[in-house]
Amino acid sequence: MFDRKNDVVIIGGGLQGCAIALFLAKAGSKVTVIDKTVAGRHASGVNAGGLRLLLRDHREYPIAVRAMDIWAHLDQFVGQAAAEASEVQLQTSQIAIAMDEDEMAWAGERERDMKRRGIPNEQLLDGADIRRLLPGISSQVLGGLVSRPDGHANPANAARAFRMAAAAGGAHFEERCCVVGIDLNGSGSWRVTTDRGTAEAEIVVNCAGAWGAGLAGLVDENLELRSMALSMMVTARVEPFVAPVVIGIDRPLSFKQSAVGSLVIGGGIAGKPCLEEGTSFTVMDRMVSSARATVDAFPCLSDIPVLRTWSGLEGVTPDGIPYIGPSARHPGLWHVFGFCGHGFQLSPAVGETVAASLLSGNIDARLQPFAVDRFQAGKPAQRGRNDAA
Amino acid sequence: MTAEPRPDPSAAGTGAMPRDADVIVIGAGPAGMSAAVELSAAGLSVIVLDMNASPGGQIYRAVEANLNEGASHGLANALGAAYSAGQPLVAQFRVQSNIDYRPNTVVWELRTDGTVGWQQAGRGGYLRARHVVLANGAMERPMPFPGWTLPGVMTAGAVQTLIKASRLKPSGRVVLAGTGPLLFLLADQLLKLAVRPALIARTDGLGDKLAALPRLRPAALPALAKGAGWMANLRRVGVRTVTSLTHLEAVGNERLREVVIKAAGKTMRLPCDLLIVHDGIIPSIDLAQGAGIAMEWRPDDASWRPVTDAHGLAKPVSGPSLSPGPNCVWLTGDARTIGGADAAAAHGMHVGQTIAASLGAVKSRHASHSSPAKRYAQAMAARPFIDAAFPPGRWSVELGDATIICRCEEITAAQIRSCAQQGVTDMDQLRGLLRCGMGPCQGRSCATAIARLLSREFDSPLPMPFRGRPPVRPVPLGVLAQLQSLDPDLSRSEALDDKPDASSRGGIDV
Repeated sequence: MFDRKNDVVIIGGGLQGCAIALFLAKAGSKVTVIDKTVAGRHASGVNAGGLRLLLRDHREYPIAVRAMDIWAHLDQFVGQAAAEASEVQLQTSQIAIAMDEDEMAWAGERERDMKRRGIPNEQLLDGADIRRLLPGISSQVLGGLVSRPDGHANPANAARAFRMAAAAGGAHFEERCCVVGIDLNGSGSWRVTTDRGTAEAEIVVNCAGAWGAGLAGLVDENLELRSMALSMMVTARVEPFVAPVVIGIDRPLSFKQSAVGSLVIGGGIAGKPCLEEGTSFTVMDRMVSSARATVDAFPCLSDIPVLRTWSGLEGVTPDGIPYIGPSARHPGLWHVFGFCGHGFQLSPAVGETVAASLLSGNIDARLQPFAVDRFQAGKPAQRGRNDAA
Repeated sequence: MTAEPRPDPSAAGTGAMPRDADVIVIGAGPAGMSAAVELSAAGLSVIVLDMNASPGGQIYRAVEANLNEGASHGLANALGAAYSAGQPLVAQFRVQSNIDYRPNTVVWELRTDGTVGWQQAGRGGYLRARHVVLANGAMERPMPFPGWTLPGVMTAGAVQTLIKASRLKPSGRVVLAGTGPLLFLLADQLLKLAVRPALIARTDGLGDKLAALPRLRPAALPALAKGAGWMANLRRVGVRTVTSLTHLEAVGNERLREVVIKAAGKTMRLPCDLLIVHDGIIPSIDLAQGAGIAMEWRPDDASWRPVTDAHGLAKPVSGPSLSPGPNCVWLTGDARTIGGADAAAAHGMHVGQTIAASLGAVKSRHASHSSPAKRYAQAMAARPFIDAAFPPGRWSVELGDATIICRCEEITAAQIRSCAQQGVTDMDQLRGLLRCGMGPCQGRSCATAIARLLSREFDSPLPMPFRGRPPVRPVPLGVLAQLQSLDPDLSRSEALDDKPDASSRGGIDV
């Protein structure tokens, strides 16, 4: 049993929780991270590790750009060895491919829109450009968009890197420890009750990922979240032939070649989530569309065998961007979850901006679009597709 | 012939899923063939899916081709009565009209609702039946030692496959090492093929025989007589045998050059062209485990086996599963419990009869048949003695640090020990850290050795195998791309709401 007094208790030891813990601990805060299994066990450790600006929601760009800086200098944050283990590859590009006229028209519109917003890194490519960048790509491809600063990293090792760095900086970790209640103690600070002890703190940060809405429910705060078991498949090793990550526009495609040669294929394929039991199942029936998108894009890969599949549990918000900000109901409580399958790249900057906001008491302006009460009556709808006009 | 898909009364209320057959049998070895014959004779439609090109399984591999009139008499003689015993069963299997036999077919997924994912020659799909009989047999226990990945080191089963399927036989200096009945059967077969092993190095010893004696049952005598016959042959021609083998090493650069053996305290080096190893067989659990069938760990011989009742009905793990609804997967033969060909055939027959009875289909009885349950018990009578006299799995107890355990990813015992010393005793966590079990074999060749390392040295509670997810066997992208789902619910593509808008796209990195 533990009984600990802290400045901040972070519930959920995924990448976001560990990154916040790292920046808080470095600033001298007394932090405890509580995880019901082990840090990085779910979406943080099993995602595709994309470091992507390409096709990102424009509201995420400010923190995404800062996150790229941190990824590029990861050793300064997590140490040399852990940074090397994280296998950060930048400047290898991510490319969105247009396989039909609709997708191509969309790509053109996207490029103009981003230019208008002063975001210059997404560039339009024609079919010849794409064929030069992606050997083996179908002759059907009409063009697409490239973001050259983008790349990828090893998600499991990166999650571990942030966890170890946070611990080395003084953050305390309680793993295999399940939160059963959150309430205010007599003196107005939070008491987090777990199956193994209690932790008290002025501030609680809910980084519980797919379980974030459930945790918010413990303090009667209703945040809409859908849980998904996002799945991936990996093939046998083939000769290295493609350095950029390739993603679809309308098609369920996300495709990269790992350092050892295997192809890692995703694209938002949904497995069967079992949130309560903390597990999920991959559903081969749904891998079909992703396999088809891959073979359509790279017909030469038709004979390459899929060796295995996996999935991880993730929380998805109604508008496709995360909740990051203070609770609308309880002072001293923050919510940081619902990253909709693309939080990996953002995590270091989320850690930095959330920690800075907590320490200063002023919310970093870059976090404003992620306010947790953005869907409440009286707030203007911020659905991205409405502001294209 | 395949029966027309027909509505299943038991599925009423569940949307009456179409069925391809009454029963799908996976595996055409003695257990699968016996089950299929019983089911077919009871008038039920059966689809039999098998990896091999002809019926027989591992034990009766290519028995039709090797025993037909034109075949070499020498090979039939060498393989002996234990092999030719398969011929009548294969013949019986071939004549059944209700059996839709599909050779060269690899099963890559099994679900407890009776759905089976298959592929064959660039095509693939799902089939569904009211019951599935899983008779996918056994595999040789992985036996890691320094040099086991060198060309020139083979397992006894692989050598038998080459003999039966390709009519190849070893040449040069041959050494056999390990334990278990198959090792001695193979040695006997090699002698008959005029291949004289230079040495047989056994991990078992005299003490094991003495310890096993109290387990001897009269019903076991025929099996023991057979074994004693093989041993006597080896002695008669003067094949050198050492017992209580404690260290084995294969040495060579590009391929095997010599073996180093330490037995009963003495070390010897021996030039060698082919080292044949065998450490007993264990159930092939990959499909069952991928389906969510519960597994129990047997500490005595360091292997898992699926949890079933006496009839072979599988017990799914408690907790969530992919397929809601009752389990309709049965296990039989060595895939359920190691017992050899006779036990497998008897149990397969029993499962076939049990399923037929549950579906209200009963065939006319032959009075001469003793009950398959009784035949199964007889066939299993020798097992306690055999398991004690030739203790399998002993090898994986003392694994040297430098020994490669996961050969796909080249992970050593030292790396696994080091993780375990840091508190990692969960197989899945270990896989995430080291990649052991992530290669093409999906952990088939390392899971038991890793589990034993963890359980013996770190006192971890009964180890669970790696989490199994489909595909259990590799499926080409092009085959997967054309797959037809049987479940409207499952095939409905559920994804993030991501018809993107030019200015805002919730893209995903997974």
